[in-house]
Amino acid sequence: MGDTVALNRQALSSAHCGITSLELFPSKYSETLRFGEVKITNEQLKQKLAVRDQGVTRTTLLAMHAFEDAVRQSGLTSTEISSYDTVLIGANTVGGMCLTDELYHDANNDKEGSAYLSSYDIGSVNLFMQQHYGMKGVGNTINTACSSSANAIMYGARLIHHGFAKRAIVGGTDSLAKFTINGFNALHILSPEICKPFDQNRQGLNLAEGAGFLVLEREEDVPHKKVYAVLSGYCNANDAYHPSSLSDNGDGPFLAMQGALSSAGLKPEQISFVNAHGTATGNNDEVEGKAMQRVFSTVPYFASTKSNTGHALGGSGAIEAVFSVLNLVHQELYPSLNFDTPIESTGLVPIQQYIQTPVDHVMSNSFGFGGNCSSLIFSKA
Amino acid sequence: MENEELKKTLKTQIIKYLNLMEITPDDIKDDQVLFGEELGLDSIDSVELIVLLEREYGIKIQDPKEGRKILVDVNTMVDYIVANRTR
Amino acid sequence: MVYIHHCACVSPQPNLLTAQTETIQESVDNVLHVMEPKYDGIPLGVLRRMGKAVRMGVGTALPLIHKHDKPLQGIVIGTANGGMEDCIKFLNQVIEFEEGTLTPTNFVQSTTNAIASQLGMMSSNKGYNITHVNRGLSFENALLDVIMLLREHPTQAYLLGGVEEISNYNYNIDHLAGSYKKEIISNLHLYDSKTDGSIAGEGVAMFIADAEGVGAIAVVDAIKLLPADQVDEIVVQLQLFLATHLSEGEVIDVLLTGENGDERLNPFYGAVEEVLKGATVARYKHLTGEFATASALSLYIACQVLESQTLPSHLLKYPSAKKEIKKILLYNNHKGVQHSFILVSKI
Repeated sequence: MGDTVALNRQALSSAHCGITSLELFPSKYSETLRFGEVKITNEQLKQKLAVRDQGVTRTTLLAMHAFEDAVRQSGLTSTEISSYDTVLIGANTVGGMCLTDELYHDANNDKEGSAYLSSYDIGSVNLFMQQHYGMKGVGNTINTACSSSANAIMYGARLIHHGFAKRAIVGGTDSLAKFTINGFNALHILSPEICKPFDQNRQGLNLAEGAGFLVLEREEDVPHKKVYAVLSGYCNANDAYHPSSLSDNGDGPFLAMQGALSSAGLKPEQISFVNAHGTATGNNDEVEGKAMQRVFSTVPYFASTKSNTGHALGGSGAIEAVFSVLNLVHQELYPSLNFDTPIESTGLVPIQQYIQTPVDHVMSNSFGFGGNCSSLIFSKA
Repeated sequence: MENEELKKTLKTQIIKYLNLMEITPDDIKDDQVLFGEELGLDSIDSVELIVLLEREYGIKIQDPKEGRKILVDVNTMVDYIVANRTR
Repeated sequence: MVYIHHCACVSPQPNLLTAQTETIQESVDNVLHVMEPKYDGIPLGVLRRMGKAVRMGVGTALPLIHKHDKPLQGIVIGTANGGMEDCIKFLNQVIEFEEGTLTPTNFVQSTTNAIASQLGMMSSNKGYNITHVNRGLSFENALLDVIMLLREHPTQAYLLGGVEEISNYNYNIDHLAGSYKKEIISNLHLYDSKTDGSIAGEGVAMFIADAEGVGAIAVVDAIKLLPADQVDEIVVQLQLFLATHLSEGEVIDVLLTGENGDERLNPFYGAVEEVLKGATVARYKHLTGEFATASALSLYIACQVLESQTLPSHLLKYPSAKKEIKKILLYNNHKGVQHSFILVSKI
């Protein structure tokens, strides 16, 4: 979709779909499945970010790109970034496992290691960034599958709320990897076509990569700054049903959405738009639809931006948070793509065209494996 | 008689692929519903059994929903294997 | 304030607190493997799928969940690698079968949040469920999360835990990266070794925490997480931590450190011991081995010591004349760059 917020907004507004075949690394599934691939090579990323260190993974490079963009816009000084009360809360699910061959070699071999020995675990991304940017505050990484970066945003906000931080740089990232492609394929939830969220004939999700970062600060600290939006509510709840699918009545999604509303002090009818999790799997979209019907007596405008980007796993919550902020800043909504026929059991129809309309509060949903359900609410500043 | 051997082998393979604990091949009856109450199998197990059919017998099943029609009990599985095996 | 009401632990020793020199389990090829009990409460149909980390985490936590008189509001776990063995098993399949038809169980079990989510499912817990994965500060972030949760929901209770498994695969990776000693030593002589690296370990500690003191066995007063690599900075931060969290006249009675035989890290431990001259100094990694969430086991030890008011001799580095144990400071550092202080007090 693009490597700046402006390019992403342009793509969303013009109903651009960034899902294609896989071009940057070889996989058996490069042509037979569809992916949301960031069309920038690792060498190009390293050059752009002036990174010369060995052993830096693509997952980290994508995160750094988004991090630097967010920090630049926030006007944080280098003293503030290095301060003990600035925290870095990240999320990802792949870590260095995008390096299938190196990991295979290092795990099965005890003679000589690659340059990536300390870059495989999930925490390696954040740890590299903390060290690279000289950050001294609390650092953390969250992995709750597809809801990871939504939970990272929540954790950062709570650290500020409880006085453990003044500023939280929060977000998530993931890169495409043979490991995840094959893992999801083994569960038979990948679509050979471009995904069709909330469509009766959806065939599954398209894996993607990408990163999103936001800078959260307390209102009283930023009277002189341009504020894009307010994180006004959030909730994490668990479906407690099955490792890789949601229950029929969607208790997890329902409790997360309801909890977010309660934490924001809002009634359901005050939500202008829902950025749905909407992966286009058989299970998610039907259950999410039903859960929305439980929460909202009239379901508001909703869309799945995964129809534009694919599903970037650990990065998706943060990417969609940025998209939600765009809705609020520009008072506009973007269409959900590739939709023809509503799901029979819900009859719900996502928004089909770009519109400019009053947008006061946006809810963004992220539901992960293990029944991990998170919902964030952003409000107009 | 050949089928009896195959049934025994298949039961051993099912136990191995699904890592069923404290169950022997003799504990699984030929007509026992695989996805019923007793064995407690779920959707992830159906995918595992599809992999078993491919790795051990060279049978590819593309759609897991099709697979459930074959994975009713050991009898239906054996019938399908005999008709379709390439290994 | 986090009041610990119940805790449980599975480690490479039959019992971390009663292990005496003659019965301490010895390391083999620089690895200390856990001694797993028979776990109650995990149906065979579920157990069959579990890798070691998930089995240890779930098996240790389940009995605790049913022990507490309050229903749990959430499950908060810290683990650096989760089900690493399952992860590599799946990866091996990807390579060996050239991305052909693969079995999904290893993939699903390898996800680091498998432990927390399995616990949520098995206890039908629909509350907050999270997995913190920041390597040597994974457990500390989980504890910090619970501190915040109890401020947000002071009438609720939470499960808190740290877990890590060692498999041949992640031992290889960490060994090649220089985390473990090149020469084979025994854990019984861990602290005599003056070379780089430590020995590998694994384990799990689980806690039921709430905001009420009645019936609790210990209380966590404060925590500090520090990404740092200079000894001076650790000293300054420790002094600040003590000044902030100790009242007039209060002192640290026991310093329990994550000293692990790695010569490169000894300057940090030496400097902290110097700040706390007068305290009893104890250490535990000769019993547990080194792993990213070992600090969870140090909190378990601290809770047991505070409740029993006995510090076993096999944990001692420097004894002192102190009779009563009121305050324990836990200091750990992971690879010299992730440090934590946790202050735990007697009820």
